[in-house]
Amino acid sequence: MTIQEEKDFILSVQVKNHAGVLQRISGLFSRRCYNIKSIVAAQTVTPELTEILIVVTGDDRVVSQVKKQVEKLVDVVRVTVLDQQTCIAREHMLIAVNRTMETRNRLLGIAQVFHAEVLYVKEDTVLFEVVGTPATLDSFVRLFAPEEVKKILRTGTMAIQLD
Amino acid sequence: MKLNGSDIIMECLLEQGVDTVFGYPGGAVLNIYDALYKYSDCIRHIETSHEQGAAHAADGYARASGKTGVVIATSGPGATNLVTGIATAYMDSIPMVAITGNVGRSLLGLDSFQEVDITGVTMPITKHNYIVKDINQLADTLREAFYLAQEGRRGPVLVDIPKDISAQVTDYEPVVPKKPELPKGPSAADITRVAERMAKARRPFLYLGGGVLAAGGEQAAAELAKRLDAPVSCSLMCQGGFDQRDPRYMGMLGMHGTKVAALALKHCDLFVAVGTRFSDRVLCNADTFATHCSIIQIDIDPAEIDKNILVSEKLCGDARQVVEELLENLPQQHHGEWMDQVAKWQQEYPLLQKQNDPEKPTPQFIMETLDRLTDGEAIITTEVGQHQMWAAQFYRFRHNHQFLSSGGLGTMGYGLGASIGAQIACPDKQVVNIAGDGSFHMNCSELSTASKYGVPVIELLFDNQVLGMVRQWQKLFYGGRFSQTTLEKKTNYEMLAEAFGVQAMTIRTADDVEPVLKAALQTTGPVLIHCLIDPDCNVLPMVPAGASAEEPLLDM
Repeated sequence: MTIQEEKDFILSVQVKNHAGVLQRISGLFSRRCYNIKSIVAAQTVTPELTEILIVVTGDDRVVSQVKKQVEKLVDVVRVTVLDQQTCIAREHMLIAVNRTMETRNRLLGIAQVFHAEVLYVKEDTVLFEVVGTPATLDSFVRLFAPEEVKKILRTGTMAIQLD
Repeated sequence: MKLNGSDIIMECLLEQGVDTVFGYPGGAVLNIYDALYKYSDCIRHIETSHEQGAAHAADGYARASGKTGVVIATSGPGATNLVTGIATAYMDSIPMVAITGNVGRSLLGLDSFQEVDITGVTMPITKHNYIVKDINQLADTLREAFYLAQEGRRGPVLVDIPKDISAQVTDYEPVVPKKPELPKGPSAADITRVAERMAKARRPFLYLGGGVLAAGGEQAAAELAKRLDAPVSCSLMCQGGFDQRDPRYMGMLGMHGTKVAALALKHCDLFVAVGTRFSDRVLCNADTFATHCSIIQIDIDPAEIDKNILVSEKLCGDARQVVEELLENLPQQHHGEWMDQVAKWQQEYPLLQKQNDPEKPTPQFIMETLDRLTDGEAIITTEVGQHQMWAAQFYRFRHNHQFLSSGGLGTMGYGLGASIGAQIACPDKQVVNIAGDGSFHMNCSELSTASKYGVPVIELLFDNQVLGMVRQWQKLFYGGRFSQTTLEKKTNYEMLAEAFGVQAMTIRTADDVEPVLKAALQTTGPVLIHCLIDPDCNVLPMVPAGASAEEPLLDM
């Protein structure tokens, strides 16, 4: 069997809003040993439907298995593996970093480049809110030394396939 | 009309044509049992000794009849006792509806007495499950449960009903059940392409799985074997899916498959798999399975394609429908030389059990005698272990619904309950449960169910005083350290059977086999036959862990 490259896939799963539907999906992933990198449940225009966006790590065979297994769940309406070339993916991050007299200007400079919102400032801390692709958020975080970062909260990936 | 929840359950069962349910009463299902009392003229309730036995009986009923089995249990321990039975049905894709009571809605989530989150517990082992929190959803939920159990790849569905729901009153209108439609199936182009590929094969191998039986595709499969001019092997789940008296039949494939099937696998140039999921017990080592030939897989569940092994051609759909479509596109093939080769192997490698102890009958002799005396027409249920394999190897099955065994989950304790369910589904058939002494002890209390209801099953107990299958592995791979597999129980099986109200017979020597089996077959009530066999009889051939399915051990 040829070894295929592992990468991230984004699955968009439309589900009926029944009790326990998230448990059914996450349970399926854990018992079949699929790796969930992130999971986001989003409301849609139709109140009875929820869109769940799941980032899965694996090769092509794994992702096709994941898709077929998820499709079997009774509450699942539709599963799409998003094409990362043509979909728009966004994550949301709150990040608190150390602030000193020496770094305060650099911090503001970084914020400007990334269109980050400064939500809160006190003498020794700045809290940024950043929205962007997962890669953009990764680069934002990399601009700080690990000891500079006090706390990071990142949502999972939301993504929309362009027609 | 206005009905309470429990009466609605009964009416929904009647809508579905259910006339028999298995179960056990309890606090949370008091209302439901009160309705069963009222409906006892049209719904027969079989009360087992333990909810697990009821679940296996519902499963056996489903396998023997093709209908959906129904089991009812109370909340908490009643519900959790069903779990093994539901998981057994799930692994073997058996249609079953389990109805559990739960505590009233106001007590849910408070760790109330006998409360358990059974929908949470059974999520991984049901096709789907429900907790009904609105009386107005009850009837439709039950209808959907029955629909799902039979639709596509079949399986168990659980409906959990809080106690207050089973008492609440609402409007009920009968509805004609929605019949599951067959899946769309492959395109005409796919069918033609695969049929052409089949026509190019020179040494085809036809392998049949449980999906053939689920689809009622035995005749189509037999026709395909002829048309393709191929030898046939069946998985454990497809025993009876092909007439085993037919010279094309090579026996099982895989861990305890025959040498003939293994040789044919090694030399075939096309492996056609119908209604099967390539379980690890068949593949043995997926990396060395059928590497030199192409594989065509036909299965109803798209998720089973390319799951355990990558295949060259896939046809997703109902096994019978797909095979019938293939037959329309496949001209008669002729593989005389290949069939001759297979026949030679059959001469060379028959299944033969060594007799270590000249006093004691071999399991082969017992099963073959049973086969002869019942003309291969009995329904055989099994527990799990060596005796299960011997039953599959030496009884020559020829019909659907004839071999009932826990293939996927491997549930010791399955067979006795299943045999009771099968006998109730098919009162005119002879039902024999083949058991080992290990499995027997798991659920032997169901003998009392057989005797209470006068269910005339034969419990044929192979007593070798050991957990033979595990012991066999200990012999091969654990230096003969028989950790906890030497049972040496003091059980007096004859007295135990009689204590339960079941007639007992004993087979001590080979000479006893025929007269005792004959006597048991003529008895009208349930019979236990205590049959002493050699503890060192192994299941052979055998493919050790990690080895190739093409190279089984013939001796050990």
